[in-house]
Amino acid sequence: MATLSRSAVEDLLYAEALILDERRYDAWLAMLTADAIYWIPSNGPGRDPTREIAIVYDDFERLSDRVRRLESGLAHAQSPPSQTRRLIGNVTVAEAQDNAMSIGSNFLLYHLRRGRERIFAGRYEHRLRCVEGVWKIAAKKVVLVNNDEVIDNLTFIV
Amino acid sequence: MMAEKLDLNTLVEDHRVHRRIYTEPQVFALEMERIFESGWVFLGHDSEVAAAGDFKQVRFGSQPAIMTRDEDGAIQVLMNRCMHRGATICQEERGNARHFRCWYHGWTYNGRGELVGLPYPGGYGKNFDRSRFSLIRAAKVANYRGLVFASLSADVEELPDYLGKARYYIDLFMDLSPQGAVEARAGTHKYGYDGNWKFQMENGVDGYHANFVHQAFFEIQGKRLGRRVMKLFNETSPLESKDLGHGHSLLDTAPRRSSPRLVSNILRGQVPAEIGDAYVQSLVARNGEARAAEILAASNVNLAVFPNLLIIGIQLRNVIPISFNRTEVFLTPTTLCGVHEAINVARLRAHEAFYGPAGGGAPDDVEMFNRCQAGLAVKGAEWLELSRGLERETVGEDGVIAAHLTDEVPQRAFYKRWREIMCGVATAARPSVTLAAAGS
Repeated sequence: MATLSRSAVEDLLYAEALILDERRYDAWLAMLTADAIYWIPSNGPGRDPTREIAIVYDDFERLSDRVRRLESGLAHAQSPPSQTRRLIGNVTVAEAQDNAMSIGSNFLLYHLRRGRERIFAGRYEHRLRCVEGVWKIAAKKVVLVNNDEVIDNLTFIV
Repeated sequence: MMAEKLDLNTLVEDHRVHRRIYTEPQVFALEMERIFESGWVFLGHDSEVAAAGDFKQVRFGSQPAIMTRDEDGAIQVLMNRCMHRGATICQEERGNARHFRCWYHGWTYNGRGELVGLPYPGGYGKNFDRSRFSLIRAAKVANYRGLVFASLSADVEELPDYLGKARYYIDLFMDLSPQGAVEARAGTHKYGYDGNWKFQMENGVDGYHANFVHQAFFEIQGKRLGRRVMKLFNETSPLESKDLGHGHSLLDTAPRRSSPRLVSNILRGQVPAEIGDAYVQSLVARNGEARAAEILAASNVNLAVFPNLLIIGIQLRNVIPISFNRTEVFLTPTTLCGVHEAINVARLRAHEAFYGPAGGGAPDDVEMFNRCQAGLAVKGAEWLELSRGLERETVGEDGVIAAHLTDEVPQRAFYKRWREIMCGVATAARPSVTLAAAGS
């Protein structure tokens, strides 16, 4: 059965975190499957996206548009860009099947823009899938602790 | 510290406004008093308090209040302040409660705000009159097609009169449902910015900014959809901006209401054809073909209702002033009653693409509000110019002032009303306020 060890899973999550902190968005897209979903629920844990508004509910196509906009030089809410560093911990393997795994982790994300510092915290839920021998992200759900609070700007990729 | 007399009336002219209406705490305090505590304020949608006991916290400017449905089914708006020693009595943003209890000393109120629980009453004299300790209630509460407004002053027009010509566009928004009703129970987007609340009210009906602030979004989306979205907002656009009176205004993105093409912009390509067709047929069945076309064509209007409501896309947008340089904005998306689930899913996903704290559009607007507040610290350039289109306005038989979509008709409409209320132009006396001199 093809699964990853927890340390291999952590390596993947750390690699993703570094790519996002360095804003290498094309490299991030390359980590995703073609049917990937990037989901940031609003107002709570995120139960049913067909009945709830989300802060983000992007399929791969919309995510590609998001990245193109971020890199267009015309995404004003990212001009100047967010500077971030994120720590990931408490990694747990929730489910491991052949070529598919569900991973939970906590994150703490330091954010700086225009001299204003913010801290975001939450839980990542990654769905990983092995596609032709390469482990990719098939779904990423970001449950922010403050997703029912006023958030000024969340236009970077969390 | 130097102080000066400043005439509010000199801060707003017919085609420009002074920077101090955005930068002076004293002006903000007067706005709260004269606009948010003396007139109609939008609070929410009645489906947010659908059942008896449902409540939601709301605000009149800086004053916290509770919108709730009482046991008789009436919507009550109660100030969130215990009549004993002042603590707030409601802590949850939303919920359902038969009573509101102040946990400081246990005073308890029912859904009409009446004091029904007074612990250890023997400590109060025989003549203690509980009825004097009901929660403060909004003087007026009214509901138009599900939109709940309230006023802390009884001295206001009836709500339908106040809404005036905006009612026509509210009707179009509600009539997108084949049952003529929407629900606002799919959650809320909440964002804030370090700027004055009026920036958001100006921007929600600003047709001039779109091709600049949203250029990247329009180009990328346009390429995806095979449409030239920016044509809608350029100089040759056939679309119009309108002053509806009472400070209400509109970007009329569908002036050709007789269009036979029964396609909702919001739904185009987002739902299977048979579901879209069935939806259109349900609108025709209820409204007739001409009215159905009118409703669908108008599904993208931007409507501003003075002072704090914007209806844009599928959302009710509530603008909440916090201080002269801090604003919170709550976007509540609506779902249509009586349609296939796929249509409401498509509406939610379409909303997310552009709006909310991570959307592809709204955060770029918000960035501009932050930049405006920062830029207005510059002294010497005292005025903000709102004259665009002043010389090409037309006045319709119905009194509606219209000009090109990119013209600043809606902003002038807003400030006409602002000046009436803030300066009491109906009266001869122009109220003055003492302002601390800037920089002192």
